[in-house]
Amino acid sequence: MSHELSTMNPLKPLRAKVDDVKIEAEGVKTYTLSTEFPFLAEPGQFNMIGYPGVGEAPISLSAIVNDGSFKHTIKSVGRVTDFLKDFKKGDELFFRGPYGRSWPVKKAEKKDVLIIAGGVGLAPLRPVIQIVLKRREAFGEVSLIYGARNEKNMLFMDEFKIWEKDISLYITVDEVSDVSKSPHPPFTKGGRGGINIGLVTDLIDGMKIKPERAIAFVCGPEIMMRFICRGLIMHGMSQSSLYVSLERRMKCGIAQCGHCQHSGLFVCQDGPVFSYKEVCGLPDGVL
Amino acid sequence: MTGERTFQKFKRLISKKAFLLWLDSLKKDYKLIGPRYYRGNQAVFKEVDSSKELFMEYESAMLSPGKLFLYKPQEELFRFTFNETSNPPSPPFSKRGMGGFSSKKITVDEIKPDMAKQVIVGVHPCDVNAILYLDRTFLGAFKDPHYEARRKNTLIISLNCTHVGGNCFCSSVGAGPFLHSVGGYDVLLTDFESEYLVEIKSREAEELFGLEGRGAGRDEMRFKAEKEKAMQGKFRKTLNVSGLDNIFAENMEHPVWQQTAEEKCLSCSNCVMVCPTCFCYDLRDEMSMNLKTVTRYRCFDACLDIRFAEVHGGNFRQSRAARLRQFVAHKLDQTNQYGVFGTVGCGRCITWCPTGIDLTEIAEELRTKN
Ligand SMILES: Cc1cc2nc3c(=O)[nH]c(=O)nc-3n(C[C@H](O)[C@H](O)[C@H](O)COP(=O)(O)OP(=O)(O)OC[C@H]3O[C@@H](n4cnc5c(N)ncnc54)[C@H](O)[C@@H]3O)c2cc1C
Ligand code: SF4
Ligand code: FES
Repeated sequence: MSHELSTMNPLKPLRAKVDDVKIEAEGVKTYTLSTEFPFLAEPGQFNMIGYPGVGEAPISLSAIVNDGSFKHTIKSVGRVTDFLKDFKKGDELFFRGPYGRSWPVKKAEKKDVLIIAGGVGLAPLRPVIQIVLKRREAFGEVSLIYGARNEKNMLFMDEFKIWEKDISLYITVDEVSDVSKSPHPPFTKGGRGGINIGLVTDLIDGMKIKPERAIAFVCGPEIMMRFICRGLIMHGMSQSSLYVSLERRMKCGIAQCGHCQHSGLFVCQDGPVFSYKEVCGLPDGVL
Repeated sequence: MTGERTFQKFKRLISKKAFLLWLDSLKKDYKLIGPRYYRGNQAVFKEVDSSKELFMEYESAMLSPGKLFLYKPQEELFRFTFNETSNPPSPPFSKRGMGGFSSKKITVDEIKPDMAKQVIVGVHPCDVNAILYLDRTFLGAFKDPHYEARRKNTLIISLNCTHVGGNCFCSSVGAGPFLHSVGGYDVLLTDFESEYLVEIKSREAEELFGLEGRGAGRDEMRFKAEKEKAMQGKFRKTLNVSGLDNIFAENMEHPVWQQTAEEKCLSCSNCVMVCPTCFCYDLRDEMSMNLKTVTRYRCFDACLDIRFAEVHGGNFRQSRAARLRQFVAHKLDQTNQYGVFGTVGCGRCITWCPTGIDLTEIAEELRTKN
């Protein structure tokens, strides 16, 4: 009685070719990749990106997949991401995915959408912005509230001008390093359309939000998401209309290795996008 | 494959001698694995040459058969080969080699699962339940081909317990001392002095089992139930499971975590290693000495390890108290994950903790001193 196996190893990495590399910010690059296999993904999902001998790291899709071509925006902070920073057009790397639960974009239709990001946290939200721009009429008021340490750490600045035509941009930095050298002139100070100095939460405090018709997608450092979610709740929004994307250590991406466990949840499979209601107050998190 | 059918094919009384001879007869097609005497009441699950080597009266084994012979401590998954012109990555990784990282010149080989047939005999009910738990991890939405292959090619012969160990609390969580799971085994044995009550559960076992013996009827089943009842009375360790989830939720900052972690826990991870349901693993790449091949393998990992939940810029379980709490909560709380308790009450984490940390005592402290 020999038994046939139903499966190929889901951990098997596939090749992807680097078609383009773009410097995005200090230590951050966007890689445009293609593969010989059909590839589709939802906004908010991630791939495990890696190289033999170096390892793998979870990285979000930073754009909507276009005819099999996909993008990752990666900040080099460690073993895998440092290794990738030297990759050039024509090189090949390995990936597997996509994994995880996506942003509930359908649920956001007809609603006022608050897209709130900190630092590299804008990467997994850019596909949402792209969908909004493509089908602008399907959504109500759409605002992007984006904060970074300084403008050198800001992603996708060259796209702000285009985004601004259809959605409201609120940009803030903790500090300005040199506004005159900013690649995104003109940076006026304060309010909508300009650059602010201060925290994302300060911007939100000053915003007019209609809580009953608003939905928020939030991604950034967990401590920042905590204050944002609490701030939005003060504005009258409900826990279940707030969505956050969580970062945890991940080795498998397929709910096996246990590294990403957050109480009984597997962040790789049950997330990384969660409603605030699902993850607020869980131990070992700050939300 | 075990556990796929719920029908009870037949129940026989077979002399132990005849049963063991039957086991030996399986050796021509199967690896025979079972408990071998280690010391005291302890056994070690190992491949044996003959049923004579089996120590069926064992009380407990440090490592569960499921985490030795189904989910292996270490498993090679892929081999990457760099050919002449490709650049293997070499430290420091940030230094770019010559010619680009063209992975076209890297071949990826998937290590094929081991299809050898094996029979594991003498698996206690707690460990059968632990295998059913591992099934949820490795045969879920994403199937692990190595685990799946072994699971399909393994015949599991469970043995109802006749000894209650000092740290056993399976009866408190319904995982023993007698087996009541719907599946997870092919044959179930109950010790009837000079005979075994043999209950055949799977078609594969039914086809292999040639012994006639005596048919077991209502009297024998009543006798079995009495034995079980007698066993139930022997437990010295118990766990009150009622309302545990609320008790945990309300006591995440209870001083017992901090105290136990600071005064006792070494973060040695023994508890995780001997736990039959702990499924966590690490994926690692190992470069060959000649820099031509990389082996990607997985190996057991432990949430007690300080690096386990570390990410860039932070560690979600930096404190030992948080890591100890994660381990205990994964066993006694967090039933939202799979809908069952993570513990099967085998007591191994208590037995092998070098400083005597006992999760049943922690749970009791949470319940009574808040
Ligand atoms: C769902 C998800 C999506 C993500 N999306 C993106 C994205 O789009 N872009 C992006 O740039 N990042 C993203 N990240 C973050 C990224 O995965 C992490 O930064 C990842 O750790 C990078 O891997 P690495 O191998 O380069 O770093 P690592 O080598 O893992 O280093 C990261 C940090 O972990 C610690 N560390 C790791 N291993 C050890 C060890 N053995 N001993 C001690 N300390 C250790 C160190 O403190 C180090 O600073 C995402 C993460 C998740 C979970
Ligand atoms: S075996 Fe005991 S000391 Fe070691 S990590 Fe587990 S609880 Fe801590
Ligand atoms: S990353 Fe392995 S379980 Fe989630």
